[in-house]
Amino acid sequence: MKRVSDRIVTGAAWLSGGGLMLAAAVVIGFLILRGYKNLDLALLFGDTPWQAAIMGERPVFGGIWPAFMGTFYLVFLSSAMAIPIGIASGIYLAEYASRRLRSLLGFFVDLLAGTPSIVMGLFGFTAILFLRKTLLPEAQTCLFLAAACIALLVLPYVIRITETSIEAIPEPLRLLGYSVGFTRWRNLRSVLLPLASRGMLSGAILAVGRASEDTAVILLTGVVAHAGIPGSMFDKFEALPFRIYYLAAEYRNLGELDQGFATSLVLLCISGTLFLIAVCLQKSAEMRWKRR
Amino acid sequence: MEETVRKIMEPILSVENLSVHFSDKPVLQDVSLSLWPGEITVIVGPSGSGKSTLLRAVNRLNELYPHCRTSGSVRLRIHGESGDVYRGFMALSELRQRVGMVFQTPAVFPFSIQKNLTLPLQVYLGVNGSTLTERMEEILRDVGLWEEVKDRLRDDATTLSGGQQQRLCIARMLALKPAVLLLDEPTASLDFKSAARIEKLLLNLKRRYGILAVSHSLAQTRRIADRVCVLREGRIVQELDHEHLRDPDAFQTIIDVAF
Repeated sequence: MKRVSDRIVTGAAWLSGGGLMLAAAVVIGFLILRGYKNLDLALLFGDTPWQAAIMGERPVFGGIWPAFMGTFYLVFLSSAMAIPIGIASGIYLAEYASRRLRSLLGFFVDLLAGTPSIVMGLFGFTAILFLRKTLLPEAQTCLFLAAACIALLVLPYVIRITETSIEAIPEPLRLLGYSVGFTRWRNLRSVLLPLASRGMLSGAILAVGRASEDTAVILLTGVVAHAGIPGSMFDKFEALPFRIYYLAAEYRNLGELDQGFATSLVLLCISGTLFLIAVCLQKSAEMRWKRR
Repeated sequence: MEETVRKIMEPILSVENLSVHFSDKPVLQDVSLSLWPGEITVIVGPSGSGKSTLLRAVNRLNELYPHCRTSGSVRLRIHGESGDVYRGFMALSELRQRVGMVFQTPAVFPFSIQKNLTLPLQVYLGVNGSTLTERMEEILRDVGLWEEVKDRLRDDATTLSGGQQQRLCIARMLALKPAVLLLDEPTASLDFKSAARIEKLLLNLKRRYGILAVSHSLAQTRRIADRVCVLREGRIVQELDHEHLRDPDAFQTIIDVAF
């Protein structure tokens, strides 16, 4: 009897795992099939020579280079805001906060995590309206505002994952540092953080992934269809997910739609590259922490 | 003669009227004992009698658990100076270096063998470079581990056998130049051969350090102890010395009565 149930569970587990891989393969395969023809320099830079475009000597029309750079800046800025604050908050909740404060703050973190992205976009939009009427009449939706709202959106993931990966360290290991006389900070730095680093990396990856794909927030906080590469953090910008959305919704011919698929592939490549960089950083940090 | 010598010497550690409560439940009550260098004092007693709590009260590790209240005093003597560790005699981190502890299950850091030793050495003693390597080798030789691990220092410490891990833990403790060693059933999770090695090591170490150990094995207690304190329901109910330990049957009878 036990054998049968064992087999069923094993089979179901295999099926779920296989299904997941199949779904990912179908999506990526479909994107490649529809998009690969358009994957060339012209997709990125239009008619502009690529050297001149990359150096910023000449503007790009018709290519996705400005959207590419816009997404890169957006992800970089929002990660730079959300990841350090999120990790620090997670550490505080796991190691320093009292039990009562932890459940109170935890509630707010969950509340933030449950906020739909369009609401976060509306929040950013309203914030700008408020600023225009009060302190900064010149204020407008821009890259910085979009990055801040995205950072707010991904912050709870980073906090929660950091907190749980520290709390998941078995108690004897958590107390071991103290038994050799480590101070709380030293125990955190030399023992807990290295052990929790893998979990913290997942939080960072999730944040980066979410920041690069979100459309609802940026729609209301500064993205436009044609803005070129933003000159500063306070300019409007283009972004790949918005470009994809725009192409998919308003294409004039099949060629433009296929361009949308190719753009999706590019977005996937950016996320993939960022994940890879994060994994490499974590691996090398872990080696350094553990060996020397 | 021995008694006379001991009376002249000051104890390295003296616990006086120590009581520990967890959430108002008494775990140790009015415990007093002294530890002299060159001696191994073993605490025996049924489980739940407060043996581990007594050890953790000495290096104030109990405070890491919630709702712990400690009263009484724990006086430590280091470099001719003595003071109560509960009344600011030294900083908490220094106390835990000076009073090293080894747990029942080997507790290595999940890092490389080398880093298990170099981390505390770098942090506390600021040792670096070739001195660090020399010091590490010296300590590993001290605990008889050097020959076994010298070619795999960068391997994860968790890949060592239980006995090797426990010796690594002892090495890590010794690296910090402690004065007193607290050993909480250090051989409980080890096989006979590994346990025998550790016992031999402890008999060597007692010349240099004051050792307070908890043991679950009466045979082991007879082999390594210079003095035995029997703990029951948080109180020391009997203290035994060499005289009592010499005759196994008499020792067994005393223990049977005490338990």
